[in-house]
Amino acid sequence: MPKMELAGNTYEVDEHGFLQETAKWNEEIAKAYGSKEGFNELTADHWTAINYLRNYYLQNGICPMIRRLVKDTGFSLKKLYDLFPEGPAQSACKWAGVPKPTGCV
Amino acid sequence: MPKRLNLTDISKTGEGQLTEPDVNELMPLPPPYDKFKEPGFKILTEDQRERLVSNLDGIVALALPKPKSKEEEKKYIEQFVSGLKKLLSREDNWTFLQPLLLSLDYCARCQTCSEACHIYLASGRNDLYRPTFRSEIFRRLVNRYARHKGSRFGGNDIELNWETVSRLYELAYRCNLCRRCAQACPMSIDNALITREIRKLFSQELGWAPRELHEKGTALQLEVGSPTGLRPDVVRDNVQFLDEEFSESTGIKITTPWDRKGADILVIHSAGDILSFPESVIAFTILCNAAGLSWTLSSEAPGYEGVNYGLFYDDIQLARIATRHAQIAQKLGVNKIVMGECGHEHKALMTVADRLLTGDLNIPRESAMTFLEEIVFSGKIKFDPAKNNFSVTLHDPCNIVRNLGIVEPQRRILRYLCPEFREMTPHGVDNYCCGGGGGLSVMNNVNFTDWKVLIAGRMKFKQVLEAFADRPGPEVKKYICAPCLNCKLQFREILEHYGAKEKSGIIVGGLAELIVNAMVDIKKPFIKWES
Repeated sequence: MPKMELAGNTYEVDEHGFLQETAKWNEEIAKAYGSKEGFNELTADHWTAINYLRNYYLQNGICPMIRRLVKDTGFSLKKLYDLFPEGPAQSACKWAGVPKPTGCV
Repeated sequence: MPKRLNLTDISKTGEGQLTEPDVNELMPLPPPYDKFKEPGFKILTEDQRERLVSNLDGIVALALPKPKSKEEEKKYIEQFVSGLKKLLSREDNWTFLQPLLLSLDYCARCQTCSEACHIYLASGRNDLYRPTFRSEIFRRLVNRYARHKGSRFGGNDIELNWETVSRLYELAYRCNLCRRCAQACPMSIDNALITREIRKLFSQELGWAPRELHEKGTALQLEVGSPTGLRPDVVRDNVQFLDEEFSESTGIKITTPWDRKGADILVIHSAGDILSFPESVIAFTILCNAAGLSWTLSSEAPGYEGVNYGLFYDDIQLARIATRHAQIAQKLGVNKIVMGECGHEHKALMTVADRLLTGDLNIPRESAMTFLEEIVFSGKIKFDPAKNNFSVTLHDPCNIVRNLGIVEPQRRILRYLCPEFREMTPHGVDNYCCGGGGGLSVMNNVNFTDWKVLIAGRMKFKQVLEAFADRPGPEVKKYICAPCLNCKLQFREILEHYGAKEKSGIIVGGLAELIVNAMVDIKKPFIKWES
């Protein structure tokens, strides 16, 4: 299993850099991912999306569908791509420390 | 890196790879994509080369960790031989022994299959990707280590070492199992079947399978209900959310029925459609309700998830999931199961499961294609074909069309409802795979997505562009109708990679959405071009 250093600690990640143990996530990890993708500061909008994703995942065992993310955060898809350069699945889920969706999605 | 290879190269010792696809030698694409600035295949990091077996072609789909000792390597070689023998034994492989033997014994080495293979052609004719390269190596291994004889043309020369075993594993996932080669073969040799038998040997005997197909695939489906991770309560919640959303946007009341005992029909969608292509699922609901059918979805795991990745790599997992699907239908007391727009669900449940489901469990199964055709031509729904005012081409999912011969129902629908429908060349049973077949569309480890899009999907992208060549600009809206979730996911990767929506106005979707889009009662466009 590959390892990655985030905010001074080493964590197990998958081959695309997604955190493997979601329970170990903290806000510093989100900031560390953000800075790797060019955001040295996370805005209130970033935290709205990250916290929404995380809470949804912890309750439902899966990331929300995009349509739901858009509706519940009030952010358009374009806005989500502005906030998270690789998009909701590849960036936002990663920063939130939840696994990327699997299967036919 | 050479692209002319000898079969014996597979056992070359050391960690070196055999070849590497070269972006400059790939089959050219039509304009404007001939000028596309191709970033190429991601190079493996040093850390990845350190940890993972990467001795085939510079691409890593499987992320197999390197063995820690010679003993471990030896154990895998012994397991491989034991697996070979089981594949050849009636007791262990009653399901596929006969077609396997027929495909092992009669290859005339004419290479007709190579010319039929989209992967070989798109790669710029790299020998590694010939359908026969993998098959002939396997054939010689079988003859030497399981049957103890020379092959018909000699050839007893492949060394079975760690390199052979590990390279063959990775090479088993450079094929879409589309069976176009089998159709072209004058002897009906099925190289896809051989490829799948190799995958099966690795899964059932060595415990090796792609994480996306096994751990996050069939195992998750049997445990939770779906490889997406959707639990029964979450799937119902999501579809209810969609019912409300689409009731609002279409202006008609949409209610998807769940767990109705005694309904006539159980529809089993691919659950990924709910998450990634929700219009498809809602379109089925709208059509079934408008046609006045007695139907239901099931929220019993895994009755809401039609995929069965066992089809791609493992007989046991395949059987477990197919049996669960049939048991759920039996419990609901339905008269038939209708399979959603998912190609491999069709093959798993209609064709392969026919050898598995006996007695009461052998409940009739129907394809979404004939099911939708009956609804469209029932006279119960009013259509205005002029509402589908954009160009449409049709992709033929291999498992529905080549494998099952369901060619015309979807075409009769499109000829009626899509005035600007045009075929690809070739099409029907001669179609090319989208490049996502055989489980590949859900596999995305390390740098495999690059290979999937640049090589496996190349022929299909070329076909799509040629079908729309008369109106190439982005101002003309174009729709690829791909009635299979795996195919849609692969198209989504291809279109994103090339920016084809922005450059050419191309989007992808299913068949049911096109039907609903043409309904007189649906006032606003159901298919949306802006995301």
